[in-house]
Amino acid sequence: MSRLLWPAAILLLVAVMLLSLAVGRVWLPPSAMIDGLLAPQPNLASLILIELRLPRTLLALIVGLTLGLSGAVLQGLLRNPLASPDLLGVSSGAALGAVIAIYFGLASVFPLATPILGIIGALIAGLVTFTIGRGGTLTLILAGVAVTGLASAGLSLALNFAPNAFAAFEITNWLLGSLAERSWSQLLLATPFMLAGMACLIVNMRALDALTLGETQAASLGIDLDRARLLALLGTALAVGAATSITGGISFIGLLAPHLVRPFVGHQPSRVLLPAALFGAILLLVADIATRLIPTDQEVKLGVLTSLVGAPFFFWLVLRLRRTSP
Amino acid sequence: MLSVSHELRRRLVGMLALGALLVAGPVFAAPSAKPQRIMSLNMCNDLILLMLVPRSRIASITYLAHDAVDRLMPGADRGVATNRGTAEELLLHKPDLILASPWSSSVARRLGKQVNAPIIEVETAYDFEAIRRVIRQIGSAVGEPARAEALIAGMDRDLAALAARPAMRPLRVVAWTGDGLVPGRGTLTDAIITAAGGINIGAKHADNSTASFGLEELLAARPDAIMQGMGSYDAPALRENVARHPLIKRFFAGRQIDYPDAYYACGLPQTAQAARQLADAFARVPRGGPRW
Repeated sequence: MSRLLWPAAILLLVAVMLLSLAVGRVWLPPSAMIDGLLAPQPNLASLILIELRLPRTLLALIVGLTLGLSGAVLQGLLRNPLASPDLLGVSSGAALGAVIAIYFGLASVFPLATPILGIIGALIAGLVTFTIGRGGTLTLILAGVAVTGLASAGLSLALNFAPNAFAAFEITNWLLGSLAERSWSQLLLATPFMLAGMACLIVNMRALDALTLGETQAASLGIDLDRARLLALLGTALAVGAATSITGGISFIGLLAPHLVRPFVGHQPSRVLLPAALFGAILLLVADIATRLIPTDQEVKLGVLTSLVGAPFFFWLVLRLRRTSP
Repeated sequence: MLSVSHELRRRLVGMLALGALLVAGPVFAAPSAKPQRIMSLNMCNDLILLMLVPRSRIASITYLAHDAVDRLMPGADRGVATNRGTAEELLLHKPDLILASPWSSSVARRLGKQVNAPIIEVETAYDFEAIRRVIRQIGSAVGEPARAEALIAGMDRDLAALAARPAMRPLRVVAWTGDGLVPGRGTLTDAIITAAGGINIGAKHADNSTASFGLEELLAARPDAIMQGMGSYDAPALRENVARHPLIKRFFAGRQIDYPDAYYACGLPQTAQAARQLADAFARVPRGGPRW
């Protein structure tokens, strides 16, 4: 089964990426797109394709990869099927950092401020959740809820002090998450951080496998647990912090993707990571295509759509957990 | 028991005041003595009020007005008390005339009746005819009809000057600030663009006062110029990311028209001046559409 999974997943990914380039608010027939790309002068089709849809598609790809991967790593590290960056408060911390950068003028002076503050926010939030929530599924989720609550209180406070009168309206909109109208420069700004984060997460693969045996056993196998935790935290903060600072809040992809691939690849964490990343990207691309196809006056926000699909799955997960655990 | 009777008495007083208002309504609407403690609960009313009566006759205006006043008539609100439209302030400022909008808080209105001050409900002006109506209404309520007519005459002179300009090919423009919402048909911005001799391509839906306009649609519509609101809200915001999108910078260089938000937020006599400024800006836009 797993031998078929890879080609199938990659084929699916390429197909949804092509579809993502093909659909938008303005309908371009394929022939016009090809003509536009071949024409020497910039024209409507080539501008829409290269300057708008291509960065959007690549952003969906890399953000989806980071969310799927960090979800899989967190679930492996914490041996907890409910772990994901958004449930552990990491996304909220990142949003708070990004909002501070945007509304207090740091971002306009120094463009890197948004991803950096997003990463710092994610790091602090993750650190607090990990420290307070040690000791089981329930405490961890509760710590995540508390951190999310704290971050959203901070968000409201930041908005109260924001010098811009539109801040409240804009940021509520932004928190819903979207990939629309992002430019190449924004993509290039955040990508190095996301790649660095993913590298930290992948390096951790062997430690995660050992951890399935339990913490003491893993330690006796020569796994440095503190290093493994630090790498996972740093990787998640880098990847999710940078992604959130560009896209706003996109929830449930990190939770969903690992669960989708486990039936095919088994439960060994190292086998889950890369397929989960791949499926995270596919899920995000499909959701982003759907936001453009649903005929509403304003685009449906991406985060709204992922939550609509993800929340019922979360319910199912909770119900299953209730059945299987004493 | 005591509290019940107190509550009952308060209600009775309220009902009596309401009755008095209903009976006396027409008298209040055209008072013989000019109101001396006017309270305004709406920013657009604040601005017109400041143009019509001396500051000494104003009990309070909203805290929102200051930025626009700074832009339109600096210093005109010096020393004037401000309110946040709360019920307590109504009791505190003891107005003898309240200028409200259709959206003023119903609590404030109910209390206004109790403090026995007549309430004038002023519509929001979305075109030049409505601006004339609103100025006349407030002018007669505050007992300054002549001053109101003078303001309207000034506005009509600006409009006449605008109409007398040599006709040019109308520009297709859109007021696009980057958050995806653009003013469409039936908005004040639409009226200003039309008066300045432009065509508002944001007015694409007949029944929508705001339309959504993504970057793709903006490129496909290929406007001659993009108008961007500037003003008191220049503090950093997300929407700038989109408004400063590399595509906009590259292909709409020299085709971006900054307009002062303050002139477009409320229908005022100065709105006609805003239309004249816009027509001047249109004349500076390079001929022919954006090139790509």
